[in-house]
Amino acid sequence: MTLAETQALFHGLVSGELPLDDVAVERAFPGTDEFRAADRVAIYRNMYVGRLVDALRETFPNLARFLGEERFARLGQSYVAAHPSEHHDVGRIGWRLADFLREYPDPERPDLADLAELEWTRNEVFFAPDSPVVGPDALAEVGPEKVAGVRLHLSRSLRVVVLARSATALWRRMESGEPAELPAPGPAAVVVWRRGFEVFHCAVPMEEAAALRTAMDGEALDSICAPFADRSDPAADAYAALASWFNEGWISAVSVNPPA
Amino acid sequence: MFQRLDLGHGIGLRTKHFARFLEQRPPVDWVEAVTENFMTDGGRPIAVLEKVRRDMPVVLHGVSLSIGSLDPLSETYLAALERLVARIEPAMVTDHLCWGSHRGQYLHDLLPLPYTEESLSHVASRVVAVQERLGRRILLENPSSYVAFRDSAMTEWEFLSELSRRTDCGILLDVNNVYVSARNFGFDPVDYLDGIDPARIGQFHLAGHSDKGRYLLDTHDEPVPSAVWDLYREALRRFGRLPSLVEWDDHIPSLDEVVAQSRRAAVIEAEELAPALRRAS
Repeated sequence: MTLAETQALFHGLVSGELPLDDVAVERAFPGTDEFRAADRVAIYRNMYVGRLVDALRETFPNLARFLGEERFARLGQSYVAAHPSEHHDVGRIGWRLADFLREYPDPERPDLADLAELEWTRNEVFFAPDSPVVGPDALAEVGPEKVAGVRLHLSRSLRVVVLARSATALWRRMESGEPAELPAPGPAAVVVWRRGFEVFHCAVPMEEAAALRTAMDGEALDSICAPFADRSDPAADAYAALASWFNEGWISAVSVNPPA
Repeated sequence: MFQRLDLGHGIGLRTKHFARFLEQRPPVDWVEAVTENFMTDGGRPIAVLEKVRRDMPVVLHGVSLSIGSLDPLSETYLAALERLVARIEPAMVTDHLCWGSHRGQYLHDLLPLPYTEESLSHVASRVVAVQERLGRRILLENPSSYVAFRDSAMTEWEFLSELSRRTDCGILLDVNNVYVSARNFGFDPVDYLDGIDPARIGQFHLAGHSDKGRYLLDTHDEPVPSAVWDLYREALRRFGRLPSLVEWDDHIPSLDEVVAQSRRAAVIEAEELAPALRRAS
């Protein structure tokens, strides 16, 4: 066999695309009556699935805890069969798990996709690049005449996600040992960020999520504040939100120029 | 030109022990970091590695270079490796004589190759490409294997020795892997040591394995067993003083226990090499 034929066969056998009783197995790999070639290849096949499910478990600890050992393993096996790894880092295997759960939802727990998305986002934030942090003084230094045109540069580790149900509520219940009841339906915005080496998340109003995304798009402060326009006191609410962004360390720079 | 380094005795840097490494330098001479775990732009792992690097030499040990694959060498991977090497300035860059990707899919395993002239030419050309890209020599580790190939025309030690001579790469001799493969295929592990080119070996790996009855599984989840220590003694007698590394990747115990294994490697090295040194003086 050529090297190409050997690797195609071995890959198919390990990934499960080919049956272990394929006639080519005995032709490619020597075996004995006591230890058949197919049994030897099966060692690799069994480790393959187990290794990827372990990697998923590490990235989605609360989802794994919620489902339990067997259900999570079944989910992992189905997912890996549908979405084999395409990245050298095994830690990235789960990047489509939330979408997979949306495509094949658990009829009783349609919120599991949201929990998976929150956990994947936390994983991304953990490994995201570091950013400097500036306080509200940086905004004050700009001067009142230019403040409407100010751009806020958000931390490179900050993420804003909008989920179908409140995964933060489910997370909180699981962390405190309460029954993990199904959260009420309705969109829920979540901010995920890192301070030092620790990852945090919190629910935010939809207007604030829109404002953060506007800032991420490089828009000026007057546009950033626009989502609060329908509030009873838009200026006060926008000010409160901006103050919290600085306090939480979400702002890495303030500039009066559009982003390059 | 491939050159041996005198690093002493090291252990693997594992997440479970990060806090201890940050508190104080543990009594080891160097650490090995699994390359892919630190190919990140930020976060705790790379920050810890940079701190540890200020304290002691670091060796980068990859598992996903996939040097034997027929897929093109991954530009994404090589660029990330290049950045990490520039950032950490490791004492060595190592990976495995194996393949793990096929048509863009990664199996995340260290799959053996048929030891043929076709494989040798293929792997050699890729080792040369990687070394040119990094501007340095790499070392390749012998894998633990559970299958052999009817097409193999040479032994693994012959393949590795010839690969090393053709490309000037080094050999990372995993003593546990030699033992595991020897048991799994019924050859004498000492034949492996006698057959491999002694001038090309740049590092030893030591680890534990699990006995599954019909075969040994390379699990790195327990102390180095006595049979592997015995084989390490044989390796020391043949190859002399080389950096050693104790690997422990699953059911990881306390840092003190891993360090104790590394200290044991140092004691065994002294026991085996002291008579030779006395004779030389």
